[in-house]
Amino acid sequence: MAFSSTAAATAAAAFASGHRSAACRPSSKSSSSFLGASFPRVSAVRRCAASGAPARRAVAVTVRAQAASAGGKKSVLIVNTNGGGHAVIGFYFAKELLAAGHAVTVLTVGEEGSDKMKKTPFSRFSELTSAGAKTVWGDPADVGAVVSGASFDVVLDNNGKDLDAVKPVADWAKAAGVGQFLFVSSAGIYTTSDEPPHVEGDAVKESAGHVGVEKYIAGEFTNWASFRPQYMIGSGNNKDCEEWFFDSKNTNPPAKILANFQIPTRTNLRKKRNLAGIVRKRPVPIPGSGMQITNIAHVRDLASMLALAVESPGAAAGKIFNSVCDRAVTFNGLVKMCAAAAGIDAEIVHYDPAAVGVDAKKAFPFRNMHFYAEPRAAKEVLGWTSKTNLPEDLKERFAEYASSGRGEKEMSFDLDDKILSAVGVPVAVAA
Amino acid sequence: MAAMASLKSSLLLPCPLSDFSGAALSISSQTRRRSWRSRGATIKVSAAADSKNILVMGGTRFIGIFLSRLLVKEGHQVTLFTRGKAPITQQLPGESDAEYAEFSSKVLHLKGDRQDFDFVKTSLAAKGFDVVYDINGREAVEVAPILDALPNLEQYIYCSSAGVYLKSDLLPHFETDAVDPKSRHKGKLETESLLESRDVNWTSIRPVYIYGPLNYNPVEEWFFHRLKAGRPIPIPGAGNQITQLGHVKDLATAFGLVLGNPKASKQVFNISGAKYVTFDGLARACAKAGGFPEPEIIHYNPKDFDFGKKKAFPFRDQHFFASIEKATKELGCTPEYDLVDGLTDSYNLDFGRGTFRKEADFTTDDIILGKKLVSV
Repeated sequence: MAFSSTAAATAAAAFASGHRSAACRPSSKSSSSFLGASFPRVSAVRRCAASGAPARRAVAVTVRAQAASAGGKKSVLIVNTNGGGHAVIGFYFAKELLAAGHAVTVLTVGEEGSDKMKKTPFSRFSELTSAGAKTVWGDPADVGAVVSGASFDVVLDNNGKDLDAVKPVADWAKAAGVGQFLFVSSAGIYTTSDEPPHVEGDAVKESAGHVGVEKYIAGEFTNWASFRPQYMIGSGNNKDCEEWFFDSKNTNPPAKILANFQIPTRTNLRKKRNLAGIVRKRPVPIPGSGMQITNIAHVRDLASMLALAVESPGAAAGKIFNSVCDRAVTFNGLVKMCAAAAGIDAEIVHYDPAAVGVDAKKAFPFRNMHFYAEPRAAKEVLGWTSKTNLPEDLKERFAEYASSGRGEKEMSFDLDDKILSAVGVPVAVAA
Repeated sequence: MAAMASLKSSLLLPCPLSDFSGAALSISSQTRRRSWRSRGATIKVSAAADSKNILVMGGTRFIGIFLSRLLVKEGHQVTLFTRGKAPITQQLPGESDAEYAEFSSKVLHLKGDRQDFDFVKTSLAAKGFDVVYDINGREAVEVAPILDALPNLEQYIYCSSAGVYLKSDLLPHFETDAVDPKSRHKGKLETESLLESRDVNWTSIRPVYIYGPLNYNPVEEWFFHRLKAGRPIPIPGAGNQITQLGHVKDLATAFGLVLGNPKASKQVFNISGAKYVTFDGLARACAKAGGFPEPEIIHYNPKDFDFGKKKAFPFRDQHFFASIEKATKELGCTPEYDLVDGLTDSYNLDFGRGTFRKEADFTTDDIILGKKLVSV
């Protein structure tokens, strides 16, 4: 892996950006060559660790701006999906980069005028442009033209799920000499195991599209990194309830957002519906024992991890990062937390999908199994820490829901009713 | 206690000790670690460790057996405080005659009952020790006389338990998590509090479930008995409850790493395996370890049965696992054994040789299976 001593020095400076320390600034050529010894990455991180650089937080804007002006400013292109659970990742990442003083361009797939752009996070792009970001629209296959020939230090593909979608972007980036190529993959590619958690390095499903992408970029770039998320929550997600209410493509009944969960499939809707059921004091049907664990992170955790990779390219090079928080939650626990966030008790009804005759994939929004990855690489290699606090984050989500007045809307719960009647649980229709 | 025959083998007792250089960044999980594991190779002794006069409370049953060997090899003077009910030393399965002779000739014994607080205080004060490893302490009252006897103690290293954590829907447990003052392990908590309140340099280790050769808690043994008998394995609930096992040798290594380590001063560390495992998964792992075919697992609802005083399953019926990242980061140590390797080690050195602690007892199994057959 090519790794110049200059890059090491830059990385060292950037790593310390949260903590003003002269020791980590590349003040002269001699310090660069010191860092460029056999283990430049190690040296860079060690020197900054010694100065006590804390994990990054999008808090002190002025500090970040200083860091950027010290020579660590990068120009970053985010190729962003125009819908789905991952859309919000690019939004938060952009904000994090902008706060750190980097130059950001967001290329959203499709057209600026499309209906998809009326939903969050796109409808909140003014928050990006007012902070200095450029926003463009187009086909990632023509990325070079769409960005009008601009050059970038870093490219994040937060769009493609397979090589067909990502290859044009990767090839363009390589030809254009982009220094660092980042990819938002998925923790869903891990093969199932008796021994949780999924950790970086564990076996993955070779046929998965994301795996094909990871292999390709690993072969094309010396400095690449892949980020594997699970589920996310956070304000500004793409799964807006009004859109779903009118979206005729949706085969599920319309739903309300109780907590804005992000998962990269349509089943996001069913999750909200189940949780919306809590507000209406309906029993919540949970398949199996409800002991299945999953990982739900606040999207700002993903953004901070991506930002750390940008600021420490040497450390991140050639690495895979599980982009998740560091706690598992059980299904039962999640329902209890949502209910607590809503200030009420929840009644959980467990059922066996096979016995009841429903497809758990349709009836329940999470994988009906343990699905739990841990962010070990990010912690070890980037010094990243998780800030997700699910009980608190859910309270924040509920507050947004409640203030939107959406708790009053009419909803149907056909599949739930089928389950509950099969299990023999009466449903008192709440006011 | 069932047969604990002395076993001869030319296998070297592995005693992996991490070196300390570049600790924080050597634990990349990006690549499979098998290639550099030096298990069974030469023992690396921690460099520049001054020889200490160490007292081990216990040390003749399980953890202490491995820990005391490690400490003796490091050149410390080790005294085991026990009632003498178990042999002070015994040759371990896989330990060479030469190694055993070396160890048994060096380790010292202080015979006594730690519940006799006056004796503890006077005998310890008379001898004086630099460091105490308290492996078998349960209650705070047992620890006070030790602290009283040794005012110049450099470090008190305590074997606590992850059982002190308050049950939670958010896991794994981190050292900063809430503890349960009402738990079965509250004596451990009270001991930790006592240590904190006294002006002593203390370190507390919280293991989860410990396994390995000579385990007296029927953890892997429980599965091995059933696998050997060709019996189905009855597992309560869905069998997807997640637990965590840590190999006793890795635990001993961790205990060794905190000795004289400033990063361990007044710190608590979770110590266990790098990964967790479901109950069903553990049954399968034990089968692999012993070369048995894939087991038949029978799930049952424990509420449907009354087992009287007998335990139908050796694990607490809940998720129970802890993060070891603090120890990994601060002490620079990762577990040598993954689950199947560790269970294989346990099988090869213990159960597979015909030794175990508790006779097989399938009473509760038959209750479960009997009712299950009837209900079909």
